Amino acid sequence: MAHAIETHGLTRRFDGRLAVDGLSLAIEAGTVFGFLGPNGAGKTTTVRMLAALIAPTDGDAIVAGHALGVDDTALRRSVGILTEQPGLYDRLSARQNLRYFARLYDLDAARVDAQVERYLHLLELWDRRDEPVGTFSKGMRQKLAIARALLHEPPVVFLDEPTAALDPEAARTVREFVKGLRAEGRTIFLTTHNLPEADELCDSIGIFQCRLLRMGSPRELRAGLFGAGTVVRVVGDAARLVPLARSLRFVRTAHAEGDTLTLELEDPETRNPELVDALAAAGARIRYVERLQHSLEDVYLRLVGGHK
Amino acid sequence: MKKALIVLEKEWLELRLQRALLWATLILPPLITALAVATFFVVGKISSGVSLPATPLPPEFAGLSLLEIGQAIVGKQFSTLFLLLPIFIPSVLASYAIVGEKRERTLEPVLATPIRTWELLLGKMLAALIPALGITIASAALFVAGVLAFAVTDRVRAVVVTPGWILAVLVDTPLLGLIGVALIVVLSSRVNDPRTAQQISAVLIVPVLGLLFGQLAGVVVLGPPLALGIGVILAAIAAASLWFAARVFQREVILTRWR
Repeated sequence: MAHAIETHGLTRRFDGRLAVDGLSLAIEAGTVFGFLGPNGAGKTTTVRMLAALIAPTDGDAIVAGHALGVDDTALRRSVGILTEQPGLYDRLSARQNLRYFARLYDLDAARVDAQVERYLHLLELWDRRDEPVGTFSKGMRQKLAIARALLHEPPVVFLDEPTAALDPEAARTVREFVKGLRAEGRTIFLTTHNLPEADELCDSIGIFQCRLLRMGSPRELRAGLFGAGTVVRVVGDAARLVPLARSLRFVRTAHAEGDTLTLELEDPETRNPELVDALAAAGARIRYVERLQHSLEDVYLRLVGGHK
Repeated sequence: MKKALIVLEKEWLELRLQRALLWATLILPPLITALAVATFFVVGKISSGVSLPATPLPPEFAGLSLLEIGQAIVGKQFSTLFLLLPIFIPSVLASYAIVGEKRERTLEPVLATPIRTWELLLGKMLAALIPALGITIASAALFVAGVLAFAVTDRVRAVVVTPGWILAVLVDTPLLGLIGVALIVVLSSRVNDPRTAQQISAVLIVPVLGLLFGQLAGVVVLGPPLALGIGVILAAIAAASLWFAARVFQREVILTRWR
């Protein structure tokens, strides 16, 4: 599959301070890429470079088929960007805001109104189209800003924290919309702090803190950092079973919390019967045996925490 | 160029929705004109009781009667105000168009479009300059009509509406306005409040006030050569200001250095 975004050693310094250090990545067209990292990690700087808003100090990139720094105007025409702040004109109506940007994105006169109407309908803002944006809720503003980023039908869309500060319902609408964009074959570059959201939406994820710490699908990231494991819930306190568990040669780690014993072990599917027998022989009364599932948050915290 | 016009159209749309700002700014020239013409008319009727000022009179006042001098002084004083308006009005409009947009964080999405920064800058500058110059020149024309209608003699008309003043209004005021807007752009990189930008840009009125007092003191005669000479100097300053403003108004600078 072709790459919608490719970067090679993309670097940006501000007055000698390194903000982005040698970022190299390739994002397949038609996928959602999650770009995760703590505040100040350089995510917004990266997005700005890829959207041809600021120039890299070093390295190069190809975005939507356009090499960065060669024809940045054409590149900007091929990408849509939802900036960290919605940045809408409060006195203008939703329709006036979108018309302004549609024209700036070079849509011909006949298409301007059609596209504005299409996205106002798609994002459920049509009924409020002629009201000043200053009267809109945060969710409505965010949806309008997303519409603005899509008016010119860009193949690559950068969404910087699209659901930040939205109520659960509005956030869900936005997430569903992002899924719809992927279904249309667009490539989404998503920065977010919402890890369950990234887990739900993203085909691949890059964990970033000035440099790319790890990249892969959510499943690959989990498997790469954590071994397979088993969670056993018992009657009573599980702590007494920890020494026994650790004595088993196939158990890598074991710890207890309340009635729950969490173990990382080699090949759980083969070893679980042996584990259960050993625990039962030691007097444990077992309620449940479950597969150990690590969240993306665990992956993120281990990588970012480890990097710190 | 097409995108500069799109920006200009949007700026005017926003301006129309800011009624208070629009009225407060654009009502000033007609008000000053009305006041100038009314005062000019009244002085022409009552100045027989007015005594001459203690300061020496400008040379062009030589041979005028007391009545004529009274009207001529009022006319001269008010005529200079038309050189101040093009500094004041575009500064107010531009500060809301640029500093206001910076404060509302609406610039980044615009910069993400295929617009070139010079198109954005040109659109914003024209949006501030065109209404300011239009209303100033229209008001100046009304002032001229008032002077021609109410001057007690032709000699007063000749002293107030001089070729030098007309040249200054037509040539120097657009340049002063341009310098004012360029200064606002430069200030935008440092300030976040449109009022602060306006206050700082008010420093531009000092040379114009110098011209006013120089004329009244008889030290400066605003003839065509001086008006054109000032125009040349202003054109050089405007070019330098625009160059500096264009350097400040770049995507990279706006996004990474404007605070």
